[in-house]
Amino acid sequence: MSPEVTLHRISPELRPLLSSVVRNGRVGLDSTNCLRVTDLKTGCTSLTPGPCCDRFKLHIPYAGETLKWDIIFNAQYPELPPDFIFGEDAEFLPEPSELPHLVQWDSGDPECLLQLVKELLQQYHHYQCQRLRESSRLLFEYDSLLEDPNYGRNMEIYAGRKNSWTGEFSARFLLKLPGDFSNIPVYLLKDTAVDPGEDVALLSVSFEDAEATQVFPKLYLSPSIEHALGGSSALHIPAFPSGGCLIDYVPQVCQLLNNKVQYVIQGYHKRRETFIRHRPCLLTRKGVVEYDAEGFTKLTLLLMWKDFCFLVHVDLPLYFPRDQPTLTFQSVYHFTSSGQLYSQVQKSYPYSPRWDGNEMAKRAKAYFKSFIPQFQEGAFANGKL
Amino acid sequence: MAEPTVRLSGIVFSSLAFQHVNRDSDVEGLILGESKFEEQVTISDSQADHIHIEEIYNIQKHISCLKLNDFYNSVGDVNVAAVNKILADNKQENVIGWYKQRRNSDQQMTFREKVVHEKLKASLSNPHMIFVLLTPSRLTPTGSTHKMEYAAFISRSRHFVNVPVLVNNLGVLEQLAYWKASAPCSSAGYHRTMNTHSSKFFSSNGLLREVNDVNSMNDSLQLELQKASRKLVESERLVETLQTDISVLRRKLSEKKKSEAGKGGPVDQRDQVLHEAFRSLLCCRLFHTHTLTLEAFPVPGFSEQDGAPETASPLRPGKRPKETLVGTDRKRRRSQPSE
Repeated sequence: MSPEVTLHRISPELRPLLSSVVRNGRVGLDSTNCLRVTDLKTGCTSLTPGPCCDRFKLHIPYAGETLKWDIIFNAQYPELPPDFIFGEDAEFLPEPSELPHLVQWDSGDPECLLQLVKELLQQYHHYQCQRLRESSRLLFEYDSLLEDPNYGRNMEIYAGRKNSWTGEFSARFLLKLPGDFSNIPVYLLKDTAVDPGEDVALLSVSFEDAEATQVFPKLYLSPSIEHALGGSSALHIPAFPSGGCLIDYVPQVCQLLNNKVQYVIQGYHKRRETFIRHRPCLLTRKGVVEYDAEGFTKLTLLLMWKDFCFLVHVDLPLYFPRDQPTLTFQSVYHFTSSGQLYSQVQKSYPYSPRWDGNEMAKRAKAYFKSFIPQFQEGAFANGKL
Repeated sequence: MAEPTVRLSGIVFSSLAFQHVNRDSDVEGLILGESKFEEQVTISDSQADHIHIEEIYNIQKHISCLKLNDFYNSVGDVNVAAVNKILADNKQENVIGWYKQRRNSDQQMTFREKVVHEKLKASLSNPHMIFVLLTPSRLTPTGSTHKMEYAAFISRSRHFVNVPVLVNNLGVLEQLAYWKASAPCSSAGYHRTMNTHSSKFFSSNGLLREVNDVNSMNDSLQLELQKASRKLVESERLVETLQTDISVLRRKLSEKKKSEAGKGGPVDQRDQVLHEAFRSLLCCRLFHTHTLTLEAFPVPGFSEQDGAPETASPLRPGKRPKETLVGTDRKRRRSQPSE
């Protein structure tokens, strides 16, 4: 249900409260996922003209799970604070006096409901941590992480989830990995109206049994980090060592991720530097057909040698300059039998990652001069006008 | 472990449902009635004495609040003054719980309902309170059919337990045992009638009059039985004592006899001779009973065989024994009996 539909069906007096939730509602570590509202219903009779929905289910991402809490207002009494049903967590009973936005409920404050949900989530986190007491092993994991300021403050626990096969006690830890992602290349989503959110890396570690013999880690990256690293499968984290503990494992993963990110950032800057070297050409657009002005991964040039025009597509890989760029020469006259422009891809040409931008440009130019006659011959021989 | 049950009459239930249908929002209020605890003892082949306690909450009346959150605030703190205002003329001790009617929501207690329930228990000093939840909802998308679900909850150590709700006259026909108490009713007219006529059937302690009479008779029988038992015990004890005495005496006698037989002193010998003399004398036939004729002669026919002579009883005419004098050899003449 889109936010617009939700807001359209909700009772007008409650609309401001819900608007904050569906538009700006990001709670917990997983801020990439917004709060969702479903199952809109009303406490009024069916004879009451709409819109009069005043109760709904709120989906809250937490520790890799999705909590489904019922929030109940009364359209006839919009000034009253909401009531909650905490889904399957029937035993969760927060202390009302420790919910400031419930004690001082202000129906005129659009942020009141969102703040109340955040406060409830904090108490829910404490409740889940308390449940870890059922397993001394998992409690140890939690306590050791808590002592480390890098992880202790950014942790969500979901405990007591029984393994569906063995019925054993299990738990999931969701940690926000510390790291500087500010220099990650900007990633534009197709839907520009959607805010991709904060760049965040979350490590989820599932303990399927209380003795930590079955441990399954998984890394979740925000869209820009995932894109910068080259996709969801680009980074493989090590398996959880048998007999190991989180306080040793998490820093290891964190280090691996940061190294990778730094490498990517360096590659980006290197590419950018390479492009900047050619800024005069790019600015005057001499021979430049197009180029990637965001990620600096692609450049297309239109060149001429002895009245023979050709295109050169330069693809800079993600881990440039470690990885060699790909040069694709393309004739503007000749077609292949399949109707494509005749082209040749060159990956093995003189190249060294230790060259600076000027040297690379100079060497590329020299290579072009040596290769173009051969390319021209090939185009005439294999292509058709 | 107590087994709680909530009972309400069809009239009260339908009144609750009707009230909610006519309100355009959720409704809540207080429940009046009585709660009682009954001890049930069952005997079975496997267990001789099984005791279980039944908690029964009889809902007799409900009072709705004019608005929501009328007697509590946003954090669930209960305002007792507001509760008393809602109760009006009803007594606070008749409050056995509260109820909520929530349209289109789950059959679960909410966060605030749990908090209010605990605080209401504390405020009214009643640890046994119930919460009745009614959740009507639309069953079909068109709204042609609606359903009304209902449940009751009680709190046990801050855990809320769902208890069965039995609505009388909705198929509840489980009354198989004897009625131990009259049906609960809060009607003033009912109480007036009972007060007027109950003295004809019930005594001052609340029991049926005939029951008292039977109990009295039973008590009297018990007393008589006790008296007879006491007498029997006494006589048995006396018999036992006498038997003990006899045994003692016999034991003494036998011991005495043994000791005297072993010794054989002059007194014993004299007694023995005397004993033999008496024996010879008394065994002499001369001293036995004779049948004489008119001439004062013994009637012949006595045999001189060994053994005791035949004696004829006057009642048993028989052969007259022959008599024989000890030490005499004279033959007796047979005389002819006189005619």
